[in-house]
Amino acid sequence: MSDRIFGLIWLAVSITIGALAWRIHAPFSYEPVGPRAFPLLLAALMAACSVWLMLRPGPPVRWPNRATFKRIVAMFVMLLAYALVFQWLGFMLATALLTIGIGRLFGGSWKLCVAGGVGMGISFYVLFDRLLDVVLPVGTLFK
Amino acid sequence: MGTFGYLAGGFAVALQPINLLIALLGSFIGTVVGMLPGLGPINGVAILMPLAFALKLPPETALILLAAVYIGCEYGGRISSILVNVPGDAGAIMTALDGYPMARKGLAGVALSISAWSSFVGSVFATMGLALFAPILANWALAFGPAEYFALIVFAIACLAGMVGDQPVKTLLAALIGLSLATVGVDANSGVYRFTFDNVHLADGIQFIVVVIGFFSVSEILLMLEQVLRGDPPVKNTGRMMFNMREAAYTWWGTVRSSVVGFVIGVLPGAGATIASAVTYMMEKRLTDKEGTFGEGDIRGVAAPEAANNASAAGSFVPMLTLGVPGSGTTAVMMGALTLYNITPGPMLFQHHPNVVWGLIASMFIANFILLIMNIPMIRLFVRMLNVPNALLVPGIAAVSVVGVYGLHSTTFDLVLTVALGIFGYGLRKMEFPMAPLILGFVLGELMEQNLRRALSITNGELGILFESNISRGLWVLAVGMLIVPPIIRALRRRRKAGATGSAA
Repeated sequence: MSDRIFGLIWLAVSITIGALAWRIHAPFSYEPVGPRAFPLLLAALMAACSVWLMLRPGPPVRWPNRATFKRIVAMFVMLLAYALVFQWLGFMLATALLTIGIGRLFGGSWKLCVAGGVGMGISFYVLFDRLLDVVLPVGTLFK
Repeated sequence: MGTFGYLAGGFAVALQPINLLIALLGSFIGTVVGMLPGLGPINGVAILMPLAFALKLPPETALILLAAVYIGCEYGGRISSILVNVPGDAGAIMTALDGYPMARKGLAGVALSISAWSSFVGSVFATMGLALFAPILANWALAFGPAEYFALIVFAIACLAGMVGDQPVKTLLAALIGLSLATVGVDANSGVYRFTFDNVHLADGIQFIVVVIGFFSVSEILLMLEQVLRGDPPVKNTGRMMFNMREAAYTWWGTVRSSVVGFVIGVLPGAGATIASAVTYMMEKRLTDKEGTFGEGDIRGVAAPEAANNASAAGSFVPMLTLGVPGSGTTAVMMGALTLYNITPGPMLFQHHPNVVWGLIASMFIANFILLIMNIPMIRLFVRMLNVPNALLVPGIAAVSVVGVYGLHSTTFDLVLTVALGIFGYGLRKMEFPMAPLILGFVLGELMEQNLRRALSITNGELGILFESNISRGLWVLAVGMLIVPPIIRALRRRRKAGATGSAA
């Protein structure tokens, strides 16, 4: 069932890509094949694969149960939040919070997670930003 | 100057203190990553690649790091196979079949040391093969024009579709998704923006690092959430740590055979460590197992697949370095790393960047010696690391990945896109879409389109040029064959299995 639904969604995506590609227009062209052909070819092949998938789906997908699914969503939200507040909170604080959150999701004790979070936030910052010259944000919040 | 002259030059590069240090570090990280169940070479290489770039390592040093991680992973996978009966990565699945029973018999130390030894033999053999054959293949590939390249890329993707997974259509679709992701951004020939939705961050295309981290780090840690792979309790009593001469002699020819076969399988696009170890295990079982002890802790069943998966890892460098067309996900990531440095792998690489190629090959020899030392006398250190809880490991992976992505352009946009691709990748992987073809498609997308357009420019749009030369015709035939033959073989095997019920269980 999942395969059929995905096939349907991806067919729609392929058609959208095809439609967008159709509108690509090169004002100047010195070559017989412009920027439009390759994406159109890919969209057509993807549409064919999607139809195939709808007609001949693979074995059923084992999606996680409700409890695991909640944890997956929680993890996704945390990672997204981490990405969004990364520059605002700065690397150290954001990483500490992320470590505590993910650590708890994986069943770590509060003590382990908080210690790990603070330790990782500070040590990674020192390691990458100070020693290895990869510039990491301090946090616009603190400026 | 022959191969040996170049190799000497390579050792001059590899023996620079920074490169030695990096090889040591990479070997260590690789062994740990390979050992941890769930994380394999592609994850290790994917997570470290952005970091190497962010640290502004020179290209040869970055490649040495990634290669050492790759080889280290193939060594490390066996540790958890033997001690906890959970393969550390896909190439080590066969090692558990005899490795774990050996450990249960109190021979864990012997299993670990003989498999480290056969890993070493396999890897060194294959690296020699790489040094000998790669220049020849590169010379031959100099004659390739755009039409041949286009056919070659189609062939590489067809190989993956034929060999990876049971559902070729999903492999094909994954490759097409990768190719489509590569079309985002400004078109080099006409200056037209494609699929950028007027977003300035997409004008340059989707960053390779963003794709790699999204699909191989973010989606991986989402998958780790649902893993309940709890292996058997680690075998505590490791017994004698070193194999003796009798055991070494007993496994020697099997190791050599498996090394050769593993190397050849590694060179073929599509087939990798997993297939190499499975094929050689079955081969050794058929050739030497007269008493039926394979599967019950036979030392030959530990040595053979380990030699093969390491040999195939070194072999998989051949198509990437010589043709510029990687045959596996891991080498695709490495090739992407090289293109970040504006180095295009392919036949010209041996002429334009001999220090990169030969430095890499020399470093692979050195890394193997480092790994042999790490994996026999220092094995207990790694065994202890199996106890690191996921509650600390996973946030660590997430943070290191983000550092790599952020180091690229320092934008929130890249981070958000990484997470979005990660959840997309998670969904795809749940539905058993393989990720290797996707990354291969992404890496090769531009090359494929450019070669197609260049070929058709020559004939002013006439499609015939794609099938004109014998090389491209041969590649097309092989590509079609790769798509048709494996499913037929699978169907035949299934029918035979259904016919002979239970006899081979």
